[in-house]
Amino acid sequence: MLFVLFPGFGRAESVLYGVGGDFKGFDPVDAGDVESADQVGRVYEGLLEYAYLDRPYHVIPRLAEALPEVSADGLTYTFKIKKGIRFPDDPCFPGGKGREVTAQDFVYSFLRTLNPRLQSQGDWIFVNHVRGAQEWVDRVSSSKDPVNYDAPFPGFVATDRYTLQVNLAKPYPQLLWVLTMQYAFVVPREAVEFYGKDFRNHPVGTGPFRLKAWRRNYRIEYERNPFFSGQTFPANTDPEFQADVGKPLPLVDRIIEYDIREYYTTWQMFLGGQLYSAGINKDYFEKVISPQLELSGDLARRGIRLQKSPLLNTYYLGFNMLDPVVGGMSEPRKKLRQAFASALNVKKYCEVLTNNRSTPATSPIPPGVAGHEPKPYPHAYDLERAKRLLAEAGYPGGKDAKGKQLRLTMIMPGAGSTDARQAADFYAEQLRAIGVELEVQMLTGAEYLRREHEGETQIFWAGWVIDYPDAQNVLQLFYGPNKCPGVNATNYQNPEFDKLYEHVVSMADSPERTALYAKMADIVVEDCPWALMTYPLAYGLFQPWFQNYKQHAFPYANWKYFKVLPH
Amino acid sequence: MGAYIIRRLLSVIPITLGVLFITFFLFRVVGGNPAYRIAGKNASPARIAQISKERGYDKPLFLNWRNPLDAQFPRLCLQLVRLDFGESMTTKQRVSTMLREGMLPSLCLTTPLFIIELVLAIALALVAAFYRGTWIDRSLVILSVMGMSISSLVYIMVAQFWLASEWRLFPVWGFEGPQYLLLPILIGVVAGVGGSVRFYRTVMLDEMNQEYVRTARAKGVANRTVLFRHVLRNAMIPILTNVIVAIPFLYTGALLLENFFGIPGLGRLTVNAVFNGDEDVIFATTFIGSVLFVIANLATDIAYTWADPRIRLK
Repeated sequence: MLFVLFPGFGRAESVLYGVGGDFKGFDPVDAGDVESADQVGRVYEGLLEYAYLDRPYHVIPRLAEALPEVSADGLTYTFKIKKGIRFPDDPCFPGGKGREVTAQDFVYSFLRTLNPRLQSQGDWIFVNHVRGAQEWVDRVSSSKDPVNYDAPFPGFVATDRYTLQVNLAKPYPQLLWVLTMQYAFVVPREAVEFYGKDFRNHPVGTGPFRLKAWRRNYRIEYERNPFFSGQTFPANTDPEFQADVGKPLPLVDRIIEYDIREYYTTWQMFLGGQLYSAGINKDYFEKVISPQLELSGDLARRGIRLQKSPLLNTYYLGFNMLDPVVGGMSEPRKKLRQAFASALNVKKYCEVLTNNRSTPATSPIPPGVAGHEPKPYPHAYDLERAKRLLAEAGYPGGKDAKGKQLRLTMIMPGAGSTDARQAADFYAEQLRAIGVELEVQMLTGAEYLRREHEGETQIFWAGWVIDYPDAQNVLQLFYGPNKCPGVNATNYQNPEFDKLYEHVVSMADSPERTALYAKMADIVVEDCPWALMTYPLAYGLFQPWFQNYKQHAFPYANWKYFKVLPH
Repeated sequence: MGAYIIRRLLSVIPITLGVLFITFFLFRVVGGNPAYRIAGKNASPARIAQISKERGYDKPLFLNWRNPLDAQFPRLCLQLVRLDFGESMTTKQRVSTMLREGMLPSLCLTTPLFIIELVLAIALALVAAFYRGTWIDRSLVILSVMGMSISSLVYIMVAQFWLASEWRLFPVWGFEGPQYLLLPILIGVVAGVGGSVRFYRTVMLDEMNQEYVRTARAKGVANRTVLFRHVLRNAMIPILTNVIVAIPFLYTGALLLENFFGIPGLGRLTVNAVFNGDEDVIFATTFIGSVLFVIANLATDIAYTWADPRIRLK
């Protein structure tokens, strides 16, 4: 059956069969969603990438020869580009022959990310940080002329064929992290100009794979990129990953992904050995996972492996600090928010609504990121404390001085979703226990984002998926000047926090910076603009013949390490 | 008849406008400005404004007093009339390309399914009518009721598990060749034939109670001849109604079957678009679906005159 279903089974070729989904195509500047980033990461690369097996996370050079030289003032990063890295042969090049990647290609690619006409979701990695970036964006926005990528730009300078200088307006130690992101991948100008609007369907990258066939809404196939070179499986000390150390990457010849939408079908195919991996749908969880949160006997006997690992995300309920009832920095308002947080039995939430696939959050900085301190959350579930704080806030028994019941409104995305409805019911029920009436409005994704963006909220459900493993990425959400319509959706403003943020944002990684991050997290926890909810855990099932997988919070360039054993 | 056809064709306009209005209201008015979703979580107000401007989301929703056509809903209607279906916000493809690519897989599934189900249902209904009141008729009715009482999802899940996964008689999923269509067609026929058999049986029995049948029998015409030559012909009007009205749905695809069996057709496209809030795809499929539905209804009326020469369209 397998031979009929998937031609290619049984040959010596190593093929990885998986499940993919809708994505926007292969233009790195427009790969803001998870699926697009994942697909783009197979065919394109950047100067730097994450060291796959190492924790804590750190970056290593990929198309750069080494990590950059940084000037003493932290404003100039000089990268040496590896020689001999080639774009693959493609009709977009003269004579169809690919060419070597140069520093100028990075200048062009980075400017594309900045180009406001391309509406990249990733321009934030350079705007406000790179010298001249905002001016360039303003100029392009106000002009109707074609964008001139050849005009000198002070932020990105190719000083010679293999040397790239990134000049910053102010110190930006996060630059190394953001250069691993898809928005900083290198693309050949010839391909962009040759394919025009269709460029997103014709990737021409230096990555480990190249696109072989793609039928949208159904199937995508990659094959090994014959022009990919210079990378081997990394040396490491983990016994699980010793077999392939030193072997040239990628380790599979082809990747084929099917766009399967129904979990039931995915599950049947996974059990039939036709897919390398499957997630665990909540309706299947009790069948698959024992009460001890281990794999059930039947699956374990088949050699299927369960991987559980924390994700670097934090879910929370945010308070609009400009709201007359829940906002403000006065003591009673602070106590009201703390009472709200203490009324939420997050442990029960994890058990009932997530099958324990999440743990109660204790800090806005998730575990695994420097600055997270493993200490209890001061506003953890405590009904008596919640009632006491509520009374101290001026609402004894949930009623104000005139005896009127306190009514609050919260917004959530996911209109029509059963999961969201169940969560909404949970929150309302928890608040009812302290006498507070919580109305939860379920909104569509777009309307929810608009309300959050424009600060039209009282309380809102939200989550932050970290972009890079630096606490600054979370703490920016509390920086006063970032308030709505910026990323600080709570409009939180604390002069002490802002001062620390302005100091710490330009500091390089150090124990001193980590201590400051922890201190800033403490301030936020005390002021309580967020009622912390959960840190999610990833649960994945893997076939015994699928090897070299290690859960990674930023997994987009990891396909080259995976291996499929004959089976 | 010509005037009737023109009148009915003109009715496409208010019907389609009504359908589009409801869809627009649900997705754009209730759903909110899609620019926020397109722009993503770190978007600046300038970026949101730029997307809104480019896609016309900054215009008034329904009425612009200065220029009545320069509002979101009228612009959408004009765009659709020009058969410009826009661009998917999920995949960034032209929607017309997506529809073109999805049409063939949908028709590959729905056309044989429709024909097999129709022929089988009429045949079984004739058998039931011919043997009415006997154990054959009763068995067919019971089986039909059982068949239509079970959800399509149950058929799909049971068949995918036993016939495909366990016994490996069919592929579990995919669209690589004709063999991939066998199981979804089988499930579609089994799930749909029960209701059709009951409907056609009732139609046949109604006809069999007519005076002309009694007359034919009195004249000694064989039962078989009465059934096939007279009853079937006279039962054509309800059959035609059922058949022609179903034709637009061949184009729009089979939502569940396409989704579960990985057939990259328009049904699957529509389901995905609804889940992703992909407005342009939803507006396009709604528009085409409503136009086809009105045309199919008109075709049914015209077919009546062919089936029953006494009918005149005025």
